Amino acid sequence: MTVSAKQWLERIHELPHRGKVKIMNVCGGHERSITMAGLRKALPDYIELVPGPGCPVCVCPEEDVFEAIQLALNEDIILVAFGDMLRVPVNVKKAQARTLEQAKAQGADIRPIASPTEAVSIAKANPDKAVVFFAAGFETTTAPVAAMLVEGVPSNLSVLLSGRLTWPAVAMLLESGEPGFDALIAPGHVSTIMGPEEWQFVVDEHNIPAAVAGFKPESLLAAMYSVLRQLNEGRYFLDNCYSELVKDGGNKSAQAHLSKAMNVYDANWRGIGIIPSSGYILDKAYSDHDARKLFPAYADDARKRAGQMPPGCDCAQVVLGKIYPNECKLFGKACMPRNPIGPCMVSDEGACRIWWAGGMRESAQ
Amino acid sequence: MQDTHISLAHGNGGRYMRELIEEIFARHLANTDLDVQADAVPITLDSKDILFTTDGFTVQPLEFPGGNIGSLAVHGTTNDLAVAGAIPKYLSLNAFIEEGLEIATLERIIKTLAETAAEIGVKVVAGDTKVLRRGEGGGLYLATTGVGVRNGHILSMKNIKDGDSIIVSGSVGDHGIAVMLAREEFGLRGDIQSDAASVLNLTTAAHIFEGLRFMRDPTRGGIATVCSEMLRATGMGVRLLQEQLPVRDPVQSVCDMLGYDPMYLACEGRVVAIVDPSEASALLERWQALEEGQDAAIIGHIDSSMQHVLMETDIGGERILEELEDDPLPRIC
Repeated sequence: MTVSAKQWLERIHELPHRGKVKIMNVCGGHERSITMAGLRKALPDYIELVPGPGCPVCVCPEEDVFEAIQLALNEDIILVAFGDMLRVPVNVKKAQARTLEQAKAQGADIRPIASPTEAVSIAKANPDKAVVFFAAGFETTTAPVAAMLVEGVPSNLSVLLSGRLTWPAVAMLLESGEPGFDALIAPGHVSTIMGPEEWQFVVDEHNIPAAVAGFKPESLLAAMYSVLRQLNEGRYFLDNCYSELVKDGGNKSAQAHLSKAMNVYDANWRGIGIIPSSGYILDKAYSDHDARKLFPAYADDARKRAGQMPPGCDCAQVVLGKIYPNECKLFGKACMPRNPIGPCMVSDEGACRIWWAGGMRESAQ
Repeated sequence: MQDTHISLAHGNGGRYMRELIEEIFARHLANTDLDVQADAVPITLDSKDILFTTDGFTVQPLEFPGGNIGSLAVHGTTNDLAVAGAIPKYLSLNAFIEEGLEIATLERIIKTLAETAAEIGVKVVAGDTKVLRRGEGGGLYLATTGVGVRNGHILSMKNIKDGDSIIVSGSVGDHGIAVMLAREEFGLRGDIQSDAASVLNLTTAAHIFEGLRFMRDPTRGGIATVCSEMLRATGMGVRLLQEQLPVRDPVQSVCDMLGYDPMYLACEGRVVAIVDPSEASALLERWQALEEGQDAAIIGHIDSSMQHVLMETDIGGERILEELEDDPLPRIC
């Protein structure tokens, strides 16, 4: 028997009320569904839904975006990137290209794509030109990039990789002593690839209830019901409320591609810093397709605010769930989708952009 | 015509151009008032109240499931007349044709345009063609100007009152998604048909109601944009019920996949009507009795107690629909 979103909501309302419960999600898709369905308003007041580190575009290192812009402007290449990346701003002087979109306007050949297969087609269609694929994303987008490399790509295609793992950011929050949440909704798509077991540590090591959820309100509400019951009963486990797609062990072939083409390293998250074992770099076997090896590094440590969020921007705090988007003083004022200051207002996965699109525009102050 | 593709010579004012006009445009559009030799034509209108409008068409691709730029050029302009309370009578047509366009494609489009005009009972009586150099146009751009006569009382957003009902004549977002899928940009395919159609039967049916305040066809920006415009014009809020909103399953699926919101997607054959609540169910029945109004639904009402467009979601949540900011980007994870 399938339970509808409304029925899950009724069950949640029937649970005994308790003190404030903060439930974190770590997936932009979850936050989008929550906001667009107006779940916050429909849930009892004691439940707070906190958007956490769920936006790969938002944490993509500033220096990587800078490198992509410089490669596109200075090297004889076609740069392809997921559409979201084109408007992510870096910290440069006024006259310089601040985004890939601005670099494009200055004449660089930059093309937005929606999947790695498009990168391959563009490389095949332009055999005389070097094509660089700036690939930022979590496991869900990094696995197809790995598969693309393992299956073989044209010799003129290379990858500027900014892949990140989702769980290490949650581990960092939990180990900080101030996680800022009482329960976790674990990401569905990431779990289809990596397996739900990746999130077992939340329960086992930190005594926090967790449930994997899909993207429909009914799946999210089922996961919320699960973690609330776990809290009420004091019996914590990792629940899977997306079992139609999330299977034990995950997608073995995707994992095999990832471990063949890439290695895990301690990676930088924009505005947050180094998180242990949280990033992917290309394996040596793929050096011929590693843009970081094929092209010069344009990194300029003297650049003001290199690696940081833009001045005044609280995106890093928003990503970590420390503040809500409307608690940033720029939200809806200087920073709007038309003229975003921070990456969380650029990406469709960014909490600021989602809140703005969902009409949650009142400033918290 | 011997040529297979448009060349710059088809815009030179000479024999090539005459052939193009006679064999493609005049042949399909022929009617008693069309005189391709004349610089201007006299038209007769049996009314004091004449409505006048114009619109341009740049859709890509030129042909899509459920229509093409030709049918759109008629529907777009005649629908604007219809929702304003007029019966469309005459159209002018400007065609900006890009060098290299296949003449067979042009002919298909103009034939559809002529058939669409004939169905609605509107005559194309004036026109012009220009040929653009290769790379300067999207194959074909069209512009139509329409003249119609009033067939009902004057409609205006100023008539809208607190508590008025909001009715939509059919499913929303079909056109936006059909055209997007036809571009094949996202590697997605589907058989979603555009809703592009004349709304004249719908608007004529609505006009018998004294309590009809205002009508609009929700084209670019969709239903949410029509509601934002009403909010700005009246200062009164709009409350919508997601549960009542007709959205076809395949349209919803594509929206879920790409992160689009059907509330903001274009329709080309739907009407949103604002009507006194006492007449809402009668108008709904009239529309549902028409083939083009089968899926009509009362989707909300005007609510002066607030100053925004608010949607009650399926599950009883609430969400504010703001003015469209920019086109959403495809998701990356």
